[in-house]
Amino acid sequence: MKQFLFLGVLAVVFSCGNILSASDTSAKKVYTEIEVSEGGSIVGNVMFAGGAAITELNLHGGWDLGDSTKSLSEKVVVSKINGGLKSVVVSLTDISAGKKKVNPEIHPVIDQQKNSFIPRVTAILVGTSVDILNGDQELHTVHTKTTRNQPFNYGASYKMRITKTFEYPETIKLTCDVHKKSYAWIVVLDNPYFDVTDRNGYFEICDIPPGAYKLQVWHEELGNLEKEVTIHSKEITKVELVYS
Amino acid sequence: MKPKVLLSRVGLWSAMSVTSAALMITLAPLTARAVSIPTEVTEEGKKTYSNYCAPCHGDEGKGDGSLARSLLPKPRDFTRGAYKFRTTPSGSLPTDQDIYKTISYGVPNSTMIPWDILTEQQRASVIPVLKSFSEAFEVRKPDAAVGVGLETRPSEKTLAEGKKIYEEKLECWKCHGVEGRGDGPSASEQEDDFGFPIKPFDFTTGKFKGGNSSTDVYLRFTTGLNGTPMPSFAKELTDEQRWSLTHYVLSLIKPEECPHK
Repeated sequence: MKQFLFLGVLAVVFSCGNILSASDTSAKKVYTEIEVSEGGSIVGNVMFAGGAAITELNLHGGWDLGDSTKSLSEKVVVSKINGGLKSVVVSLTDISAGKKKVNPEIHPVIDQQKNSFIPRVTAILVGTSVDILNGDQELHTVHTKTTRNQPFNYGASYKMRITKTFEYPETIKLTCDVHKKSYAWIVVLDNPYFDVTDRNGYFEICDIPPGAYKLQVWHEELGNLEKEVTIHSKEITKVELVYS
Repeated sequence: MKPKVLLSRVGLWSAMSVTSAALMITLAPLTARAVSIPTEVTEEGKKTYSNYCAPCHGDEGKGDGSLARSLLPKPRDFTRGAYKFRTTPSGSLPTDQDIYKTISYGVPNSTMIPWDILTEQQRASVIPVLKSFSEAFEVRKPDAAVGVGLETRPSEKTLAEGKKIYEEKLECWKCHGVEGRGDGPSASEQEDDFGFPIKPFDFTTGKFKGGNSSTDVYLRFTTGLNGTPMPSFAKELTDEQRWSLTHYVLSLIKPEECPHK
């Protein structure tokens, strides 16, 4: 009898363990696609506090504000008008249900011109293909060092196009070994709620089901920021984030 | 035939047969025969790894064994699944045969010796252990091996074409130097994926790390060397151009200059 009891206890323990481990893996990454008809949106601005002097803006130029951004360094590009920060990836990380994941048919392009990658930061959804071009009349290489996504290292001559698909969420650094200074970032995200800020630091994320979420902000030099946001149905939530 | 002559003949034959047998035994590990490679980690594999590999590559395959500090090039860190010498395309995992070949041949110009002191079975048993160190082998599968076309005959014309590719099209000289001495303008700033400085290969030594045959050289620039700045030029060249480049690279060998000949 005792033996049976013991076996029973063992069986219960094992099955519990199984359930726990199963729920662990399922709790990690589940994103269900639903119809979002009455979603809200976030519009915001990412700023850099230690930044650009606004005084030197020449308003006599009229509409021609060609160089309205100021590069504090290669990595930190700040708008002279409002101190907005360029190339920041803004995303909702803890969202569990939302709009359909759609991979764009026209691939995002990363070009190498005058020994630098343009654009510097690209954010894509999992499963998206990226075209990497070479616009310089000399040899470049494109090299990534990932573990989960298959890494690659190709030589690329003039006008060469390399298409690569990224299957797992990861922040990937793309480098050229011939010109050590140049590199670009590809941020692969596992849900479609993200944006990269423009040269005035603005971003916009649409069709979010109402609820409270964490807004995650990533910049290559200045690091991460986090903010709680609450989305109401058919309303625009305004957010301001400041790197100080 | 006089008995004495016969005796000497027999002695000669037996000596010849003994030497040929000895030759076969020494050559055996160098011919990559089909060995059965276990799919699961075995006790034998673990034991072999901890006895022969762990002193340099570390107990957990991180390339941090007790001898690693004094070595350059550094022992390979297996946790990323980046293997240099493969028959698979750039970035792909190696096939089991690729790993087996590297273990059996060793890597010239480094401290990785040819492990022919181990039996074939022991060498094969280590492979699942190496693969267990990296999560890459769980998420990804090795791609199909790249095709190696029929080798062309080296001639003045193909050498000239190879030289043109080396100097103009692929600009190999930027790292490997115009004469292939590994002293190009970008040579000094190269580092591998793990942050250690790495030298572009000096072709004049003639001791190619992935093997000296023309197929080996062909495969190196077609597949690239994972974990190093050496890229793959799979998309750039036709099969004929690749053989031309291979022959040109092989023509850069100057063994008479090499002090360790």
